[in-house]
Amino acid sequence: MKKKKYALECKNLNLWYGENQALYDISMKVIKNKVTALIGPSGCGKSTLIRCFNRMNDTIDECKVDAELIFNNENIYSSNADVVKIRRKIGMVFQKPNPFPKSIYENIAYGPRTHGERKKEKLDKIVKKSLEAAALWDEVKDRLQKSAMGLSGGQQQRLCIARALAVEPDMILMDEPCSALDPIATTKIEDLIDELKKDYTVVIVTHNMQQAARISDYTGFMYLGKLIEFGETRKIFENPDEELTEKYIMGRFG
Amino acid sequence: MPKRNSSRIKNKELHDSILVKKNSISEFIIEKLLFIAAVSSVVIIFFIIFFLLREGFRAFELLGIFNFVFGPEWVPVGTPERFGAFPLIVGTLLVTVGAMIFSIPLGIAGAIFISEIAPFKLKSILKPTFELLAGIPSVVYGFFGLVILTDWLRVTFNQPSGDSWLAGSIILGIMALPTIISVSEDAIASVPKEFKEASYGIGATKWQTISKVVVPAAISGITASIILGMGRAIGETMAVLMVTGNAPIIPSPITNVFSPIRTITGTLGIEMAETPVGSIHYSSLFGLAVILFAMVLIINIVAGRAMTKIKEIHHPSSRKKRFSFKISESQNRVIKYAILIAFLLGLAFEMYIWFNLTYSIAMLGMIILTYIILKKLSANYTQKIAFTIITLSAALIIFILAIILFDITSKGLPTLSWSFLTQYPSDIGRAGGIFPAIVGTLYLVAGAIAFALPLGVLGSIYLTEYAKEGKTTKIIRAAVDNLNGTPSIVFGLFGFAFLVLYLNIGISLIAGQLTLGFMILPTIIRTTEEALRSVPRSLREGSLAIGATKWRTIQKIVLPPALPGIITGTVLSIGRAVGETAPILFTAAVFSKRSITPSLFEPVMALPYHLYVLTTNVPGSREASYGTALVLLIMVIILYAIATLVRLKYWKTARMGSGSL
Repeated sequence: MKKKKYALECKNLNLWYGENQALYDISMKVIKNKVTALIGPSGCGKSTLIRCFNRMNDTIDECKVDAELIFNNENIYSSNADVVKIRRKIGMVFQKPNPFPKSIYENIAYGPRTHGERKKEKLDKIVKKSLEAAALWDEVKDRLQKSAMGLSGGQQQRLCIARALAVEPDMILMDEPCSALDPIATTKIEDLIDELKKDYTVVIVTHNMQQAARISDYTGFMYLGKLIEFGETRKIFENPDEELTEKYIMGRFG
Repeated sequence: MPKRNSSRIKNKELHDSILVKKNSISEFIIEKLLFIAAVSSVVIIFFIIFFLLREGFRAFELLGIFNFVFGPEWVPVGTPERFGAFPLIVGTLLVTVGAMIFSIPLGIAGAIFISEIAPFKLKSILKPTFELLAGIPSVVYGFFGLVILTDWLRVTFNQPSGDSWLAGSIILGIMALPTIISVSEDAIASVPKEFKEASYGIGATKWQTISKVVVPAAISGITASIILGMGRAIGETMAVLMVTGNAPIIPSPITNVFSPIRTITGTLGIEMAETPVGSIHYSSLFGLAVILFAMVLIINIVAGRAMTKIKEIHHPSSRKKRFSFKISESQNRVIKYAILIAFLLGLAFEMYIWFNLTYSIAMLGMIILTYIILKKLSANYTQKIAFTIITLSAALIIFILAIILFDITSKGLPTLSWSFLTQYPSDIGRAGGIFPAIVGTLYLVAGAIAFALPLGVLGSIYLTEYAKEGKTTKIIRAAVDNLNGTPSIVFGLFGFAFLVLYLNIGISLIAGQLTLGFMILPTIIRTTEEALRSVPRSLREGSLAIGATKWRTIQKIVLPPALPGIITGTVLSIGRAVGETAPILFTAAVFSKRSITPSLFEPVMALPYHLYVLTTNVPGSREASYGTALVLLIMVIILYAIATLVRLKYWKTARMGSGSL
């Protein structure tokens, strides 16, 4: 048996919103325990693509996807795949922090409870562990029962990361997680992502090229629904194969 | 079309494989159950139409459609009997037009006052106060109209009787006010702030901004409010029946507002209970209901189209292709002038009542003259005058509400006592109490809610969370809208034909509960849908993204924040069910009953019906009527107060939720 190097293999992904095709023939391989960034001008389809990886696009009525996405040797888009299980194993953090209007504790405990964990002490442990992993524990340990809505934007986003970690996924998708945050909160999230890749595979969409350069190991550049170039971050930023990539990196459009 | 590739890879660990679905069966069953709940509205509206046609068909067949609709005389018990619906249709239209002339200027002024002129604190008091006008049961309006208004008209204008077209129009106008105010206010409030700021930015006064920017931008919503108000007026039964005199004649001359008049709804309310089932008279009553239903249907379709226009203008959907549904400049001008002319006619009409023809023409001339002068006046001066008129209109609405509340409270309070609430009536209602009527009303409402709440909530969960927008949802929404616009008396006829006769349940508590349940179902569906939609999509995604099933997401994440909205809708529905008379008139209510043990298959007493019979059939029962009216009013006011408080609290938490980001 070959060693599983890839966390996710995307083969020939095409996507339509109603009649309009939004993604064209995208193929890429997400490597385990690395950070993969997707960059590109707004509207290029990078958020749409990442939302395919845990079939979040299923919630949009008109969205049709034709793809083979291999995760753990299984096709996510197979007709008998269970989206609930997929999403449990491939967590997601959204552009705008979306904590539930519940207490901090309940926000984290909701996931494990959903998957059948009932024991209080076990839940307590999971909450502590997840918040620690998201570098939020020290800031909120004294007010776990307070509403999550009272946290700052950056704290809310780390809470959402902790919430995703609490169900022990293999992989975490982040859809522009810092775009609604200030620079200091952004730095914290970036440090956290660097920490997370020890245990998880991370895919992150960002419109911020410097961020991609700082935190990612691999980078994909997308333009008008196509994946123009995909490779090691250093190569993409220093010596891209495609002219379009170079133009974008140099800031000549986008 | 994309094709789905099947997995080529064999699963080794079945337990952990994403290809083995765990929750799919229960999720599937839940979705199907919700679908059934959602489709129930379609079934109900279909049954209503079917039974109206089934029972009314013979009238159209025997009399001929033309003769039935345009026949000049309605003499159901003469020899020979004549069933011409024309005077009733004319009566319905005249009363409605009169009501509109009264309520359009007042309602629009009220809406402008609330949304643009009143300071925030006053606004938060005025809004629920105006809504209370909608909560007062129609039988209470009828009672007030019969006892106070018609008497006042008779004395003031020296007429033989005050039961007239005019009385009906005034009462209906008051009843249409809250619809016009609330829908117009919504439309005005949804005009983007940027429009106003742009207008202020070029140095326009507040009134210039309101009259030149805000109102034109909200014009389709205001139009919709007028049409919806008309729908409410046309379908109203009890109040009209009690004040119009009910003579099936066309006023002569046609402008004689003191002529008695009879509406379609009034005819149904009076004659249905006393007609032998299966007779031609019985069938022609259902034929009338078909005509009424068709009138209301047309009105609702027109209103619905106007409403979609607002949505398309202010929230053009980005993904779908945009409809170029903007009201054109010329259409806009036509609507504006139509409203202006209606306003002037209304004023003239009102002055015609107060004074006489020459006066009213003179006054009208003066108003037009003032208008022309105003155009030349400075903007500040115009603003002062306009604001004064609008403020006075708002004050007039409050004054009307205050008169009704004060009259009923002051005269009902002496009757109200512990024994009045806990004793059985005696001396055909003149003495004793109203205990069995209170209990009967509670049973009726409890049953209606037990039926409509689960069905409505589950159905709207299907609509918002599961359904893909398409033909099915369009049909369901159309059914809900039509159910919502269906006059309460039509529900009564349907309950009678379907539940009482066809299913052979007889006049009984359960027939009344179901009929009321059918009636409040659309309200519950609409308010629940609105509440569910106000829960941000991001919360649902947050839950789905950690692998929660759809149903668990709905239960744990979507429903809790939507609960206050659902409760508000339910409480308002209870308020409506408590006061409705027409649906229980032939399905459940009796005037006298000795026992209060609940039996589903026996008729019950009910407060609104009790008040109706006391007022119209029992001379010398004035004290008991006032007491009953006050009890009804108190119940409704309490329910409205609860709904308002829940909503206020909900607003606060909702604001906190979004504000902290």
